[in-house]
Amino acid sequence: MLALVDVHTYYGSIRALRGVSLTVEPREIVTLIGANGAGKTTTLRTILGAVRPRRGTVTFNGQRLDGLATDRIVRLGIAQSPEGRRIFPRMTVLENLEMGAFARADRAAIAPDLERVLTLFPRLRERIAQKGGTLSGGEQQMLAIARALMARPSLLLLDEPSMGLSPILVETIFKIVQDINRQGTTILLVEQNARMALRVAHRGYVIQTGRIVLQDAAAELLRSDLVRKTYLGEK
Amino acid sequence: METRRALGVVLLIAFVLAYPFIDRALGLQTVHAVSDGMIYVLLALGLNIVVGYAGLLDLGYAAFFAIGAYAMGLLNSPVLGSPLYGHAWSFWLCIWIAAAVSAMLGTLIGAPTLRVRGDYLAIITLGFGEIIPVAIRNLGDVTIQIGGWRPIERLNLTGGENGVNPVGRPFLPGVPFETDPLPWYYLILVIGALSLWAMSRLQDSRLGRAWMAIREDETAADCTGVNPISTKLLAFALGASFSGFAGSVYAAKLQAITPGAFEFQVSIMLLCMVVLGGAGSLKGVILGAMLITIFDRVVLAETTFFTRWVGRSLGVPLLATADLTLWRWFFFGLGLVLVMLLRPQGLAGRRVRPVPAGEGDDAGELAPPPAPRVEALPAFLRERAARPGAAADPGLMLDVRGLAKQFGGVIALNGVDLVVPRGAIIGLIGPNGAGKTTFFNVVTGLVRPDGGAITFEGRSLVGLRPNAIVTRGIARTFQSIRLFANMTVVENVLVGEHCRLRATVPGAVIRPPAVRAEEARARERARALLDFVGLGGKDQELARNLPYGDQRRLEIARALATEPRLLLLDEPTAGMNPRETETLTGLIGLLRRELGLSVLLIEHDMQVVMTISDRITVLDYGTRIAEGTPEEIQRHPRVIEAYLGTGYEAEPAARGAPR
Repeated sequence: MLALVDVHTYYGSIRALRGVSLTVEPREIVTLIGANGAGKTTTLRTILGAVRPRRGTVTFNGQRLDGLATDRIVRLGIAQSPEGRRIFPRMTVLENLEMGAFARADRAAIAPDLERVLTLFPRLRERIAQKGGTLSGGEQQMLAIARALMARPSLLLLDEPSMGLSPILVETIFKIVQDINRQGTTILLVEQNARMALRVAHRGYVIQTGRIVLQDAAAELLRSDLVRKTYLGEK
Repeated sequence: METRRALGVVLLIAFVLAYPFIDRALGLQTVHAVSDGMIYVLLALGLNIVVGYAGLLDLGYAAFFAIGAYAMGLLNSPVLGSPLYGHAWSFWLCIWIAAAVSAMLGTLIGAPTLRVRGDYLAIITLGFGEIIPVAIRNLGDVTIQIGGWRPIERLNLTGGENGVNPVGRPFLPGVPFETDPLPWYYLILVIGALSLWAMSRLQDSRLGRAWMAIREDETAADCTGVNPISTKLLAFALGASFSGFAGSVYAAKLQAITPGAFEFQVSIMLLCMVVLGGAGSLKGVILGAMLITIFDRVVLAETTFFTRWVGRSLGVPLLATADLTLWRWFFFGLGLVLVMLLRPQGLAGRRVRPVPAGEGDDAGELAPPPAPRVEALPAFLRERAARPGAAADPGLMLDVRGLAKQFGGVIALNGVDLVVPRGAIIGLIGPNGAGKTTFFNVVTGLVRPDGGAITFEGRSLVGLRPNAIVTRGIARTFQSIRLFANMTVVENVLVGEHCRLRATVPGAVIRPPAVRAEEARARERARALLDFVGLGGKDQELARNLPYGDQRRLEIARALATEPRLLLLDEPTAGMNPRETETLTGLIGLLRRELGLSVLLIEHDMQVVMTISDRITVLDYGTRIAEGTPEEIQRHPRVIEAYLGTGYEAEPAARGAPR
């Protein structure tokens, strides 16, 4: 479904990705784990066209993405919940969610989807008329994910969805990730919380300094020495 | 390299000093234009303090230019019929009066306007810039009538549309200011050089750093101990005083001033000079101002001459009568558009350097951050901790009672009680949106409480501004990192020390031994702090170029630089990997153990909270639902239901490891 082949991305003269290859098959949850600055977010930015790879290709359902503008890519059915809660602060929660469906053609299906995400995040229903900027950090995080879901993407890119959420919500978020995956959405999950990510994912990649150093079934990665030492904090 | 630079500087100075003679030898006749250019440089440098350093968009800066010019004009060449008539004062006295009057008016219009946000400030300055020329025009014929009594009748204060003419010239024995452009060149050069020297010293001082901190993030600066109101006012007043100098010299040099010389376009041209050269860069602003003036005064005129000659030779009447000087605004606009497209930081602006490859990222990846070492703990923090605090009561550091806050209809805090004993680490947890960050914002003065009491070391904090609270000894970090992104790492920490430093404007410029010593000490402390948190060697990086984990640590270093006795940390480990989290947990523990620092901690990583907290308070919907030791909290049914979830107990790593 999604394939990156030998992708090199630079920021100015800085090499952020040094030949990343990865694939995501339909209906999979694939997780990309790695330390801060390893290139996780850059990988997502490259897929979405926010930065262009200097070398390598990105294909989605056989179509080349590298070189396309971000809004075109979103219309092809990819949505992202950005890291750092990039919501529209002066729009209400409802308006934020409606913006998520901006690029959709099936207007009739939007209302049931709104109902669906509000059921997934009851907290957002309570805050529906509040301005996005007045939400707490964690609530903004929920709003960012919910807004991405409103695009009803076939591929959902999640960047650190658990960041800044309470333990009970972290669990809920990962349950939601599994739920929407069962309903047919393919997910590429970038996470700092490697344990939770590998529990819900089918497969995983480990990225270090812009290179994929390990890839395997998620259960295998949970058992690997490298992952346990570096990313799970076990001695 | 160094010697080549020094040689370049010497050559440049020699060229600037010899320029009038070179000009005369070559018959260029540009000394007047270059002198005027230097006046604009002075103006642009003043505007640069406001726009480039403090980040306040001022669209009416020419008003201060006018005030300076008229102060000189009215005192040195009283208008016939003005009450000042017959008392022409010395030029050398008038330039100081002009600067002082400009600074005073700068403060006066600054005071009520600086509380408003950026865009509104720009609009207000725009209005001010319009008002001043209009006022000058209309003060040429003033009549005040109260009932039948006319205390002032048909007073000509400013000369109205005709302006002031002639303005007296400076007097120095044996120097021909009347006939020769040379003395003017050197006079303006001296004033310009002195101003430049003062500004470069200000830039690199406690005050310059405060301006830049305000520009980068006003809220964060306030919470780091920088008073935004007085800092901005100072920028406004100083910026205005430089234009007062420039205006008074301009008036004396031209010998005549009219209100038309200070219209809106002049403000915009000055802004163009700053932006073209690079806001915030002294070199850039000089370059921008010189380029635009020379272009305007020399290039356009010469090109017009040339175009007409071409037109006459070819017999094209359109070219033969062309006047390119009428197109000056077109060329300025075009130039500005090109600069914005090609070099948005300006011709000589500070470029955002990307992190060198192979450093930063790789280092963070392969070698986890060094564990904090007790020996590396900066000595000044130890001294600070050893000094007895202001408190009479050794028990309670922070005592919050019945704290309440509503936003619209939403109850963010509903009568919250919380106590931080001296030297304790208190965890503050709760579901997202429970009011934890609001609690921090109220305690640090960003948000005014609707009710309740906040007492720190026995004194109430309610109603104090954030920077005053920092001075009292409370520092904080932010949930989403708020560093001064375009300042270096060491500058970020130095801003933290701002409230502990004393240098004033004269001190920062003249640098007496006391100020030098203070600055050296501050830099030494900053270095020690950076070494301590593991950022040694990165002090010259821009904060924005640091990897995420380093940014978190820098924020803590900045907070520690304010010499706090209570530290509020808002999700310090969010987004960190297990190794980084472990290091940070160790750091917090060490600060408490060694310095007796009290810590109030918002955190969602239960391993961290349960391991290092002495007691924990749990909020839900703005209400305290539980308070107790970590063990009690982990068993508390309401906490499990609202916050921890049942999965928590199955998580082996989340159980607090015995210390």
